[in-house]
Amino acid sequence: MATAAVVRSAAPPRRVHRIWPLVPVALIALLPVLPGVNAYILAVTVRALIFIALGQAWNVVAGIGGQLSLGHGVFLGLGCYVTGVLFNLLGISPWFGVLAGMAVATLVALVMGAMTLRIRGIFFALATVAVSLACDQLARHYVALTGGDSGLALSFVGTSFWAAQSRSPAPFVYAGLVLVVVFYWITRVILASRFGLEMRAVRDDETAAAASGVRVFRTKLLGFLASAAMTAFAGGLYMQYYQAIDPESAFGLGQAIQLQLPALIGGLGSAAGPVLGGALMTVLSELTNWGSTKFDLVGVDILVYGLVLLLVVLWAPAGIVGLLRRPRP
Amino acid sequence: MDSLLIPVAQALLSGVLVGGVYGLLSIGFSLAFGVMRIVNFAHGDLVMYGMYVGVVAAAFGIDPLLMIPLSFLLMAALGAAQYLLVYKRFVGRATLQQLLAAIGLGLMLQMLAQIVFGADTRSAPSMFSMQFVTIGPLFVSAAQVIACGVAVVATLLVELLLLRTRWGKAVRAVADDIETAGVVGLSAQTINITAFALACGLAGIAGTVMGTYYPTDPSKGLSLMPIAIIATTIGGLGSIRGSFLGGVFCGVVQQCTALLWSSALQDVPLYVLLLLFIAYRPTGMFGLRTE
Repeated sequence: MATAAVVRSAAPPRRVHRIWPLVPVALIALLPVLPGVNAYILAVTVRALIFIALGQAWNVVAGIGGQLSLGHGVFLGLGCYVTGVLFNLLGISPWFGVLAGMAVATLVALVMGAMTLRIRGIFFALATVAVSLACDQLARHYVALTGGDSGLALSFVGTSFWAAQSRSPAPFVYAGLVLVVVFYWITRVILASRFGLEMRAVRDDETAAAASGVRVFRTKLLGFLASAAMTAFAGGLYMQYYQAIDPESAFGLGQAIQLQLPALIGGLGSAAGPVLGGALMTVLSELTNWGSTKFDLVGVDILVYGLVLLLVVLWAPAGIVGLLRRPRP
Repeated sequence: MDSLLIPVAQALLSGVLVGGVYGLLSIGFSLAFGVMRIVNFAHGDLVMYGMYVGVVAAAFGIDPLLMIPLSFLLMAALGAAQYLLVYKRFVGRATLQQLLAAIGLGLMLQMLAQIVFGADTRSAPSMFSMQFVTIGPLFVSAAQVIACGVAVVATLLVELLLLRTRWGKAVRAVADDIETAGVVGLSAQTINITAFALACGLAGIAGTVMGTYYPTDPSKGLSLMPIAIIATTIGGLGSIRGSFLGGVFCGVVQQCTALLWSSALQDVPLYVLLLLFIAYRPTGMFGLRTE
């Protein structure tokens, strides 16, 4: 048995793995010019792509690194708010604003991580909740900068490359697609690298990893920083597409939980997981939105999210990817 | 200086009264962690259901305070069901999966409440809700005094139960070492269910007394979770006394922040304190040494 397992893992990766991801990429790239594709389909596609990108970013720290961040809304929110404030107040192009957002998010992650990642266990998760709620209260209080409870709306200048704005959703389909492909590639690179191996070692057994010479704290912190920067970058796209952000959609726990669903449903720690999970979640969320409007049941969508979360954790902890993978002998 | 003295004394007094109830809702959270290593993120949602027990009672003209025993029993039953359906398989390991399962459970409880009771804010006034007590220049709401009194009594009873009864001894034995407890003939499963039910029942009591002065809505439970987390971390995860004092401390910090800075930012110092405790003293003031 042992020999068979070794032989299987040593076999070259199946070629089909390299081809199949290109099919949906090509399909989405052609979507805006295909006949019969309306604005609704494009809008849902952009939503799905943003959702997948955010899920992939969370997957880096939680899926590969095993650190449960419940506060990724902080980095999404910082990406949105910094991009938006710099554009509205100073007229700085979002192309640069998003870099500033990434820098701020990484700095906040550095402080959070330095304070909470040294000890193991649940404290990191609890601390991330606290930081998002603190951001929520601060964003509501400093109205002049953030727009308070009602949030920050981007000043719309019409279709412009410099302002990264567009009346049609088509450019956002391409931007989202590029983002998803790049994030997928980053995840693959991390997984294949020594750093990715160390992150997974820390996730599976901190003591054993430390005994094998992995610098545990440094590995956890770097994973968290990478994930925060990726989330803030995707936040920049979020802001340009939705044109607005408010404290609840940025820092609320509901948002933090939504950010986790693509990776959890698709399969934690795999590059394909958030892509599959995000696509499925978007379909599910469109269905529940339709259902809750039709039957006038506010909150059904969240109920479904909770149920899906519970079912996945209890009965399919490896997500869709785990279900698709052939069971090992 | 004198002009500040009275408001500060007032803030301290209100803080202790509010904080006592925070303490009660925190000891249940702490108990589940201390005995089973379960981080029950849905604990706040049981507090919220405890508040709705009072709302329903008030709608029928019954004083919510009379519902405390029923609230305790209902939430204890709900807790036992949660334990058997979800948490049983996670006992002993506070893992990522366990936290996520608790979050999923909490979301479902919250949305069920929204579907059943609606999203509007509801209140559950008791016979004391419109009365005020004056102590010299200070005044407090009678409902808060009663609520804090109930919280103190319930906390003392839990301490007695854990320290003075055979059941309490068994709970502590299981918490210390689940395998050895089995060897000496204790059924860890039974003890865990009863301990978890007790923890959830306490959430029910906390909710019902809090409902007499604090209006509720389906998201109230989630918004109370940070308080439970902070109180328990400052007091020490797993320590009943520590969590209660942590809750009182949270109440005092909130009221003083509201007075001296801004009531909209009353929780921000608590979040900063939580980070500092996690960084420099993760066992809290009275917490478990191990982990």
